[in-house]
Amino acid sequence: MKVQILGSGCPKCKLLEQHAREAVAELGIQAEIEKVMDTEAIMEMGVMMTPALAIDGEVKSVGKVLTKDQVISYLKGGN
Amino acid sequence: MAGCTCGGDCETKLIYACSGAANTGLLADQVMRELNRDKVGASTCLAAMGADLSGFIQSAQNAAKNIVLDGCKVSCGAKIFQKHGIPYEHYIMTEFGVEKGKTPITGELIADVASKIAASVCGEAKA
Repeated sequence: MKVQILGSGCPKCKLLEQHAREAVAELGIQAEIEKVMDTEAIMEMGVMMTPALAIDGEVKSVGKVLTKDQVISYLKGGN
Repeated sequence: MAGCTCGGDCETKLIYACSGAANTGLLADQVMRELNRDKVGASTCLAAMGADLSGFIQSAQNAAKNIVLDGCKVSCGAKIFQKHGIPYEHYIMTEFGVEKGKTPITGELIADVASKIAASVCGEAKA
């Protein structure tokens, strides 16, 4: 599984990354966490507001700092 | 990007144009670009919405306002938003006195329609 955190590297992006890492750890799953900071790459994914979260290439959330539990829900396949 | 990043509290307005084959699609496209230049909102891709690309759909769902510019009353852009159940504000170019397949699309016309839509979007009397 690949989890991408899209954003400029601001505090909110870092907080989302932290929640994603905690979510992955809590579920005990194997997941690569990648930070996407390049604006062009972010735009190519259709993300107009950051931070955003993508799982296996699918953008799940845009413009929000998801909580750990919300990330867990997405990791479990929720929408 | 839309100028609203890092989970900021600013209102993000996204603009979509049908960019269809007729003169009305051309007008919608050019008006979108003018509204983008004037920072009324940020232009983005309607085709990507139609193609169900997740990032575009999530961005639309999280936008403060989605402004859909359709060329004619077939309203393909509006139908894409209806399909996704996402709210939108709708403008149809033929409702600005433009005849499909006939009216020449001039710079003056583009500026006129863009200013009327900008006034409406920004809360003034609707064109």
